[in-house]
Amino acid sequence: MKKKVLAVLLVLMLCISMTWANGSSDKGSDELTIVVMPKLVGIPYFNASEVGAMQAGKDLGVNVIYTGPTTADAAEQVRMLEDLISKGVDAICVAPNDAAALTPVLMKAKSAGIAVLDWDTPADPNVVDLSIHQIDDKQYGEHIWDLLVEGMGDTGDYAIITGGLSAANLNSWIDAGLDYAKKTYPGLNLVTERIPSDEKQQVAYQKTLDLIKAYPNLKGVVGISTPAPLGAAQAVEEKGLSDVITVVGTSLPTDSGPYLADGSLKVGTLWDPSKLGYLTVVMAADFLKGNKPVDGQMVENVGKISVWPDGRTVIMGPPADFTKENYKTFNF
Amino acid sequence: MKPELKRRLKSKEAVLFLIFVVIFVFMSILSPTRFLSLYNLQSMAYQLPEFGILALSMMIVIITGGINLSVTYTATLAMIIGGFAMSHMFAGGSSAGLSVLVGIILMLAGSLACGAFNGYVIAYIGVTPMLATLGAMTFFEGISLQVTRGGAISGFPIEFIKIGNTAVLGIPVPMIIFLFVLATVYLFLERSRMGATLYMIGSNPKVTRYSGINVRKNLFITYLIASLLAGIAGILMASRYNSAKESYGSSYLLQAVSAAVLGGTSIAGGEGKVIGTVIAVLIIQVISSGLNIIGLNRYLTNVVMGLILIVVLTINFLTREKQFRNN
Repeated sequence: MKKKVLAVLLVLMLCISMTWANGSSDKGSDELTIVVMPKLVGIPYFNASEVGAMQAGKDLGVNVIYTGPTTADAAEQVRMLEDLISKGVDAICVAPNDAAALTPVLMKAKSAGIAVLDWDTPADPNVVDLSIHQIDDKQYGEHIWDLLVEGMGDTGDYAIITGGLSAANLNSWIDAGLDYAKKTYPGLNLVTERIPSDEKQQVAYQKTLDLIKAYPNLKGVVGISTPAPLGAAQAVEEKGLSDVITVVGTSLPTDSGPYLADGSLKVGTLWDPSKLGYLTVVMAADFLKGNKPVDGQMVENVGKISVWPDGRTVIMGPPADFTKENYKTFNF
Repeated sequence: MKPELKRRLKSKEAVLFLIFVVIFVFMSILSPTRFLSLYNLQSMAYQLPEFGILALSMMIVIITGGINLSVTYTATLAMIIGGFAMSHMFAGGSSAGLSVLVGIILMLAGSLACGAFNGYVIAYIGVTPMLATLGAMTFFEGISLQVTRGGAISGFPIEFIKIGNTAVLGIPVPMIIFLFVLATVYLFLERSRMGATLYMIGSNPKVTRYSGINVRKNLFITYLIASLLAGIAGILMASRYNSAKESYGSSYLLQAVSAAVLGGTSIAGGEGKVIGTVIAVLIIQVISSGLNIIGLNRYLTNVVMGLILIVVLTINFLTREKQFRNN
């Protein structure tokens, strides 16, 4: 009995591994191997960037491995990276769940002669060769506030709903936007501190309902993090206040389609995550071939990129705005 | 063949070891130059200890019929308390040696405090372990977040980082610590009077109490010891990741339960061997690293792990049924 079960187990493992062991070629090949590791796999945002990364691999003739933990745990990322260093790859591009936790393993990668890049979220700047940013944080923050003013006018009460109080990138957009508003739109009145929504639409919805009750003169809501604007729009729609309260924020066009269509969400703005995946692979491949990125360089299928004077921080470009009219033309 | 030897060869642990060997050989054949490289073996020896110690911690608790859902947050709260003091002392001009010493002592003390909390609630107030530790998990996470504000604590002296990142004679320091912990847990659980008591409590707490054993005290000490182990795992993690954060190792929680159960520990309590848990940890490590190196999609890695868990539990169940019938 035991033997039978063992045999079944063995055969199963053999089948599974043989079928999916795509990168298993142990023979050395000339093809470059680039690892792209997201914070976690299996959420729409990182699924979209996988599509871009794989496409870039196909276009450039490099072998791309897109893999990451199934939960956003830094410890799991470290273990996976250690395995990939053992595997022997040429470049590692990682979106760290926690920058400090990854520093030792990225240093290990460097001393093993592997190029190290970060994308989506910065890692420790001392260990990365290139840092691929989706957006210029300052410019993005200012852009969101411009959109808000376009909707509600430059005077009145508004509130901010953010994904989480500790998310560095979200905070830097909000800080940039608030600084900008203080100088450019002095008539805007932020009714309360930024409100966290735990990256959940349901929470953002509830908090917005509370806001509407507490501040009857509310004219605008800024949602930062992809579920936040959706929750806010849902609440505004339910209360029938679409014409009174302007909701803008960072959301994916497909998710926000229904809210854009019924007018509760005025405009969503974000970069295209698949382009970000694409650009990351292009930059890694270029770097391995010895080409440094240049400011104003034209990258095929992505557009014009900008590079900071430090020579290693690459900005993908301005965000795309999604409105009632154009959201159907995007596929992410 | 001597009957004793024959019995041993048929034991759960022997089957498990056989499965480990099969998987190891299988991975080595699939990837002879990468999986079976000295570099990878060493890299796995760095990864395994933190998880292995958490699994042993979980196993001790499961043997008494309990479970500790707060085990990973105990580890991270301990590392945050110690790490906070250590980085502040170091930044404030204390010598690296002193800061590291204070940091480590506080990490162990912090984990003991967590253990005392769980132990008191479970043993003396009498809350079901699953509910008590579920509450403790959120409680510890909350305290950690209060200290860190969601960020990571870093800025540890390099001497501390070295604990988790150096090797002596080619053997990583975490591995040496793991072997030491393993030996101690074995002596405690399977060779001491108190260890035997824990198995008794796990199989029947009422009878144990009526035999004149102080069940509450023993349970309390169990949670203290299990949390101390979690604290040691926390030290290794903080050192290996060069920082302390509340979410580190959160994926280890269910894996630790799986490892204990895969290793033959009965989830109902009263049964389980240290060597079984260790082999289970080895199996999980080899599958995780091996499939990652081969390039298997991460979801399928979970599928394979789940399958192996189910198959092994089925084997255990069927052999037990057979033994019943034969008797």
